[in-house]
Amino acid sequence: MLSRILVPMDDSEHASHALAYALENHPEADITVLHVVGVPSMMMGEAVGLTLEDDISEAAAERAEPVFERAREVADEHGREINTIVGIGHPARNILDRAEDYDTIVLGAHGADWSRATRRFLVGNVAETVSKRSPVPVILVH
Amino acid sequence: MVESLLAIGIIASIFVGFNIGGSSTGIAWGPPVGAGIVKKTTAAALMTFFVFLGGWTVGRNVMDTLSEGIITIDLTLTAGVAVLFFIGLGILIANIFGVPVPTSMTTVGAIAGLGLATDTLNYATIAEIVSWWIVTPIIGFWIGGIIGRYIYPEINRRVQIEKSNGPLLTLGGDGTIPKPTFGPNTTWAELGTTVVVLVIGCYMAFSAGASNVPNAAAPLVGGVGGLPDDTAIIIATLAIGFGGFTIARRTMESVGGELSDIPLLAALFVMVTASTITTLLSWIGIPISLVMATVMTIVGIGWGRATRPITFREAVTRDTGEPEIVPGAITAEEMEGKPAAPIGEEEPEEVLKAGDLFNPRAIMKYISMWIIGPSVSTVLAYGFFILIPGIA
Repeated sequence: MLSRILVPMDDSEHASHALAYALENHPEADITVLHVVGVPSMMMGEAVGLTLEDDISEAAAERAEPVFERAREVADEHGREINTIVGIGHPARNILDRAEDYDTIVLGAHGADWSRATRRFLVGNVAETVSKRSPVPVILVH
Repeated sequence: MVESLLAIGIIASIFVGFNIGGSSTGIAWGPPVGAGIVKKTTAAALMTFFVFLGGWTVGRNVMDTLSEGIITIDLTLTAGVAVLFFIGLGILIANIFGVPVPTSMTTVGAIAGLGLATDTLNYATIAEIVSWWIVTPIIGFWIGGIIGRYIYPEINRRVQIEKSNGPLLTLGGDGTIPKPTFGPNTTWAELGTTVVVLVIGCYMAFSAGASNVPNAAAPLVGGVGGLPDDTAIIIATLAIGFGGFTIARRTMESVGGELSDIPLLAALFVMVTASTITTLLSWIGIPISLVMATVMTIVGIGWGRATRPITFREAVTRDTGEPEIVPGAITAEEMEGKPAAPIGEEEPEEVLKAGDLFNPRAIMKYISMWIIGPSVSTVLAYGFFILIPGIA
């Protein structure tokens, strides 16, 4: 029985599918949605914008809110509650750093906008990196 | 033959200029347009004028470097057209795959490839250019670092950028002569801000012209049947302006959208720094990418801020929007169950650390991304001119 599940989400449709999968298949589990903001990008706009804020944690939470809102909508459809946490910087590193605290990780196999080479170069394939290095089992949702 | 070649060259030059217009208008005017200070059409019009000014004056120095400095012979029209195709190819790749390809560097790379293939490369000039390319990002990064660490926080505390509703100025007056008066909500501070933002945008447009007009214009001016300098500059300006009025509507949102994640005040610092670097280098004839100068300054600001230790003063005044609770700030924070971090030390673990956004490895990876483009263009151009020697 999996009791603690981490569902890392970006703003893609796949991420919502992954969450729905986790909710459906693990009705008893404690589900935590992680969203990472300030992800490296071509002009580093979001990352720099974050560092210039007085309170990074608060600013990061604010930027993550739209994704959490969507996650809560998905959870509502299943009549469930979820926990949320915000990370900053590199998505895969954020996920791996927290992996130990969970029994499993459920994530969408494709993130947002993979056609952009810059993103692929700077961020890499999150699903691939996580499933390769995670200390706990990883479920990829296609 | 020469006429049709020239026609092809002009079309290629317009394609290049059009795309440059899109991207550099996005960078120069994205932040003010995003902040609602300038309209897109106004931005495009100012862009076109100041690009022309920059290309017509400072840009000529860069044009000389491109057309007769990098290679020991004059760039022929045939070779120039081939070079334009490489610049265009770089732009296409940038558009399709979303990778940063700094146009000025691609241009130099393509011409250097030609020089290598025909054994006419002026090594002294190319060495000078490349050393500036190495030094410039470091300078930009360093200036950005100082701004992010020391200057921005101070200024940010004192300056408030506002945008009120309603028109900034209205035409009024009682007599026959219309007299501009303040709009319903305009203050002197807002008028001042708007003027500063406009001036900085124009300055950046000027530097974009100085560094980018030559990319589209220089390949056309060389050799028998080439265009006169002035004509080439005007064609390039018109193409850039065309891009500014059309595709820039989109880039002001995409490129500018990323920039508008940065507070406008910080964006203005970035614009001034990048424009100054670009204008100065163009002045001494060094082709430099405005985009690259811009991003290095941005990353520098982020890094400078992220590595900034928390000072006593900031620890005291942090999170205190209302002046009346300043004296009790530390107590107030403790009462909220949020213990303040020891001064000058790392914050507790659950608090997010800016250092995670700008660790040295990530920065190195980021910078390397900007080197790939020009290197690839040199190699491709070299291969091309070796395989088809008749062109040069």
